[in-house]
Amino acid sequence: MRNRLNYEVVIIGGGPSGLSAAIKLAERGVKTLVIERGRFCGSKNVFGGVIYTSSIKNLVSDFPQVEPFPCERPITEEGFFLISEKGLSKITFLKKEDTPQSFSALRAKFDSWLSRVALEKGVDFALKTKVIDLIKNFRGEIKGVVVERPESWESSNPAQISAKLVIIAEGVNRVLTQKAGLLKRDWSSEEVVLSVKEVIQIPKNKLEARLGIGESEGLAVELVGDITLGLPGTGFLYTNQSSLSFGIGVFLKSLVENKIKPYELLEKAKAHPYFRELFQEGEILEYSAHLIPEWGLEGFPNLYGKGVLAVGDAVGLVNPIFREGANLAIYSGIYAAETAYEALKRDDFSEKTLSMYEEKIKSSYFYKDFLLLKDLKKTLFTSNQWFNFYPQFFNFLLESYVSSRGREKREVLREILQELKRKRGKLGILRDIIKILKLFW
Amino acid sequence: MLNLLVSIKQVPDTTNIRINPETGTLIREGVPAIINPYDIYALSLANFLKLRYGGKITVITMGPPQAVSALREAAEFSADKLILLCDQKFAGADTLATSYTLATTIKYLEQIDKPFDLYLFGKQAIDGDTAQVGPGVATRLGVPIITYVIRLEKLDPKKREIIVHKKVEEGIEVIKAKLPVLITCEKEVVSVPFSPVTEIIRANKVNPEIFSFKEPISFDSDKVGLKGSPTRVHRVFTPELRTRGKILNLEEEGLEKVINLIVEILKEKGIL
Repeated sequence: MRNRLNYEVVIIGGGPSGLSAAIKLAERGVKTLVIERGRFCGSKNVFGGVIYTSSIKNLVSDFPQVEPFPCERPITEEGFFLISEKGLSKITFLKKEDTPQSFSALRAKFDSWLSRVALEKGVDFALKTKVIDLIKNFRGEIKGVVVERPESWESSNPAQISAKLVIIAEGVNRVLTQKAGLLKRDWSSEEVVLSVKEVIQIPKNKLEARLGIGESEGLAVELVGDITLGLPGTGFLYTNQSSLSFGIGVFLKSLVENKIKPYELLEKAKAHPYFRELFQEGEILEYSAHLIPEWGLEGFPNLYGKGVLAVGDAVGLVNPIFREGANLAIYSGIYAAETAYEALKRDDFSEKTLSMYEEKIKSSYFYKDFLLLKDLKKTLFTSNQWFNFYPQFFNFLLESYVSSRGREKREVLREILQELKRKRGKLGILRDIIKILKLFW
Repeated sequence: MLNLLVSIKQVPDTTNIRINPETGTLIREGVPAIINPYDIYALSLANFLKLRYGGKITVITMGPPQAVSALREAAEFSADKLILLCDQKFAGADTLATSYTLATTIKYLEQIDKPFDLYLFGKQAIDGDTAQVGPGVATRLGVPIITYVIRLEKLDPKKREIIVHKKVEEGIEVIKAKLPVLITCEKEVVSVPFSPVTEIIRANKVNPEIFSFKEPISFDSDKVGLKGSPTRVHRVFTPELRTRGKILNLEEEGLEKVINLIVEILKEKGIL
């Protein structure tokens, strides 16, 4: 029987990277299939919550003027909350611009919207379908995929779907990337962050009042300091239409070493006086946890092989310090589509042709950021003064400065400096300053 | 060749149901919709029969434009024709108006094509739990009905006969009936199939036919939607938990004392 399942490109995974590649290929008339394990695109994945207009515009040029609107709120205020035991300092920037550059979003809504864009452009979808293997020919070229489902009602064997090129967009659990022979090594527990997140519904009108924002304004802040039980990591707080996305990410290794359960992190953080008030009468709509690939350049797999490309989280395209992930996934999907289209034109899926994809990635702005990240990580994650001591010290400083308490100010200042010296030591402070300077000079 | 009709409903995923404590109504916003689970068994049975005897499956539903996704999911059960009854005028229908609208549509479909041999419904929808729409449609169509079907023992297409097992309070009834017949399905009736990938791909891009209040059938405006629904919802509320089991703490009371207490309670109730 002739194989009915024949595509030019098969994409494994219907997240931002896979869908971006699909949209770009379908626009060029390429016969494309997206295989997604979840009931719908966006049903199985997690992210903190910010989408950047600039990356989406590459896919849907009218964005954000689209109906139905797939995001939650425009981000009009962003920055940091530095957290100590009893209080916090807010360092946020208020943007007063006409066209918002970023939006908060929930993936179930956003990804399924993006999948509808792809569907309208002619992309085929195999939802609720799991890829169990890759088809390789005798030369080791990847020529398609094997899925768990049979091909027809008459058959019970897993179906084979042939493709000229396979794009792997499977996410952080790189089972197929490994099967494709792209993985140099697996990640270790100090390279992935376990992020736990709750979406908490806040009673009407109270969300705006509590955060001091308008109805069409939104807040996106990173939480640093006394919120991760002393482990290196950060939290986040983003505003959705009628709920808040609140989460914490710490390295898997430190969770294991300190025997801390992920939900304990959230519970502790929610008990902080500020957040307790913020979430008052709140109802948890969603609880989720996901691994975030933060292995950086050192953990990148080969980006291409014979007849195969890897994109998004499967590569590790996450820049944790600058809060980029979904947009990098989108860029990588677009580059993969451009490369695939060129390869289809030449009818050549050799590594030589597909290396074009790596060139595109390497000349991107974000690849250069990954180089910086490599140094940053060495500095920031080797000890936890950056996530713990300094944010809390800043609060101590501000608190001492603003509370009069009927004391001579010279004495107050001396006390602040002594506290700093006691905690970090003169040499320690000097070393910290040098470390930061070295990163950017 | 069997001509099969399946009627389905899109319902909120009950694992995610929340009640607004202030108004007492369901919060539907952001709650994912699914096909009513009992309708899945009706679809599965239709699929089983089609594979076994050959035939055609028509699936109908009434609902908002989003119900297209329920029909697409229904298509995964090798459904051939999908119809969505979608109009503002249909909104707010109770079981009386719904069964009128569905039955009128089914009569129309039989008129333009050929009569159905089997009408398959779920035993009830998990949001309203009335179990009235199947019987209502059967009455309006003038076909016999067998509710709460747990097994299809036999179907003879030549004799146009069916033998099914039906759940009743006291046990199981085995019923032989002539086709056409309307049956409402329990979950035991057939196992849900693992649809082939070709079917999954096809289903995701099919576009159901949309029937409005005016086209292609003209309905009686007094019988559809809110206007055709004598049911008025007075109030929706979550019943409060009234009785709680008595808890005897073994560690606090000690084994012997707890046993004695249990015996005492059982005697008091006249059980011992």
